[in-house]
Amino acid sequence: MGKGYVFKRILYTLFIFFIVITLNFFIPRIGVEDPAERYYPAQGNMTDVEYEIIKQLTREQYGFDVSTFQQYLRYLKQLLHGDLGTSMQAGSPKVIDLIAERVPWTLVLSVSTMLIGVVFGILIGAYAAWKRGGWLDNAVLSASTITTALPGFFLALLFSLYMGFEWEWFPAYTDPNLVSSFDWSLDAILNVMQNAALPIIATAIGSIVGYAQNTRNSVISVSDEDFIITARAKGLSNETVLYKHVLRNAMLPIVTSLGMSVSGLIGGSVVIEQIFNWNGMGTLFLNANNTNDYPLMMGIMIFLSGFALLANLVTDLCYSLLDPRVKLGGARR
Amino acid sequence: MNELLNVRNLKVIFPTERGIVRAVEGVDLHVKPGECIAIVGESGCGKSVTSLAMMKLLSSPPALMQADEMTFDGKNLLQLSEKQMLDIRGKDMSMIFQDALTALNPVMTIGRQLDEMFMRHTNMTRKEAMSASINALHLVGVPGPERRYFDYPHQLSGGMRQRVLIAMAFAIKPKLIIADEPTTALDVTIQAQVLDVLRKLQKENGTALILITHDLSVVAHMADRVYVMYCGKIVEHAPLRDLFTHPKHPYTQGLLSSVPHLSDESNRFVQIPDNVPSPLKKPSGCYFHTRCAYCTQECKERMPRLTDIGGDRMLRCHHPLGGE
Repeated sequence: MGKGYVFKRILYTLFIFFIVITLNFFIPRIGVEDPAERYYPAQGNMTDVEYEIIKQLTREQYGFDVSTFQQYLRYLKQLLHGDLGTSMQAGSPKVIDLIAERVPWTLVLSVSTMLIGVVFGILIGAYAAWKRGGWLDNAVLSASTITTALPGFFLALLFSLYMGFEWEWFPAYTDPNLVSSFDWSLDAILNVMQNAALPIIATAIGSIVGYAQNTRNSVISVSDEDFIITARAKGLSNETVLYKHVLRNAMLPIVTSLGMSVSGLIGGSVVIEQIFNWNGMGTLFLNANNTNDYPLMMGIMIFLSGFALLANLVTDLCYSLLDPRVKLGGARR
Repeated sequence: MNELLNVRNLKVIFPTERGIVRAVEGVDLHVKPGECIAIVGESGCGKSVTSLAMMKLLSSPPALMQADEMTFDGKNLLQLSEKQMLDIRGKDMSMIFQDALTALNPVMTIGRQLDEMFMRHTNMTRKEAMSASINALHLVGVPGPERRYFDYPHQLSGGMRQRVLIAMAFAIKPKLIIADEPTTALDVTIQAQVLDVLRKLQKENGTALILITHDLSVVAHMADRVYVMYCGKIVEHAPLRDLFTHPKHPYTQGLLSSVPHLSDESNRFVQIPDNVPSPLKKPSGCYFHTRCAYCTQECKERMPRLTDIGGDRMLRCHHPLGGE
């Protein structure tokens, strides 16, 4: 891999991140005359003088006492030190601490969902393509029609209703003490697994079907390529052709979609987390939004977009390891 | 003389939703060791399907294949299992494809792709295979084969890629090579170089070659005998010189006269009128009658038989050119 290519990709990623930070800083400020007034609405029993003092204190506390541009520079400096700001929640917790507290719980759901989706999806998809027109192939096609037509939350609600409330296989509503009582004991881990089962099942189905269909289509289109006939004309067995020639090429689009879903891993899902009362990033973001906690919202946005950009960068670099044709930065000779 | 390959009454059909496509309708052909035969015809006449059928590489479904006889090197290909075919493919019988860019795996170095041939059919170690591959690249005139070994297909020019395919086909010194339009995707100058390499290797190794092409100049350059194919049937077979000087079938004549000559001052291309009939709706009688200048009532009703007309020639026509 060319060093220049890697360097260019990293610079490009940093540039995009800078733009994201800038937009993230300015967009919430659009149309807000006095942020202090928003943070601290006037109460009935205050005099104007008292309210002015309170607003001034608020401005100083949150740094609104200087010009917007100075605030921007200060914000950039703060970010450079790895500080995502201070939440407006009671006790003024650091944004980064709030995020760090939720990320593991989000990852429990998203990583298991993705692993299940990737492993089963690729296996099923490859087998469906191998026996093109067989029962599994048809099943994948019909399943993908269903999962694309039905919104994910609808499936989740169905699972919650039947597997949770009606048949009581798994807890329909996550134990509210799950996070606070977690202590790495076997019981606690089992408890987490049991509580996570429904949200994982509900999201994994769509994920499996998605990967299965991607893989199936990709394997089939590669199998029709001329170089597959060349490989077979060499006297290679079907298995060798599949492993050495088909799969390597068929994996290229899968890696792309994998990279895209990695960037969504820590974002969590607001809807799924609400349905199952799961305390992850989605819920944190929703609460920040409902309580007008701007620093927290901005911090989450920066964190998520930074992670997404990093995931994209890694995907790009992996892709160029897999496909020699993109070594020159996309230019094909 | 003993035949290397003998095919009798080869038929290939593709059942589709709109009807049955009869791609190959009873082709007979034979190849002697070390000779070069050409199968000539327009696009869609069944040339490529015939070649794939001879290596039993047609995927079934959709293709259905049948033949009265298909012997290669004393073995009855029809009775061999897929496993036995694997030992023949690449080793005794190999193939060169038309478009070398798509015929090579884009994510594998050409060296590795050549190695596969040696690793599969000989007991060479990886290291031995590598030096054999470099040598094979050297033989087909790839400059700097030690460096080129590590190149990916997209890093080579079209002519070089085609040489790689030729190197691959000759790697195990097979008895027969089927070359499907080996130079169609190349410039004329590169075409000549690649053909020279192909011819040189063929003569040196005594390999029999089936050349599948629509390009008569390539045929004139390479072949000993020529089969002319039209709509899935052989319409004429003759030694090269006889075919070029005295074509008997109106279709052959049409093909020959559609090659422009420098001495021609009319500035017009001579062409065979009309298009190749759709394989789903072939005409009645002789398939060529809709485009033939000599068509009679008999041609519209009855398909002529492929008959031996002496001088190692076969013809499928009611009204041969230049008398019976």
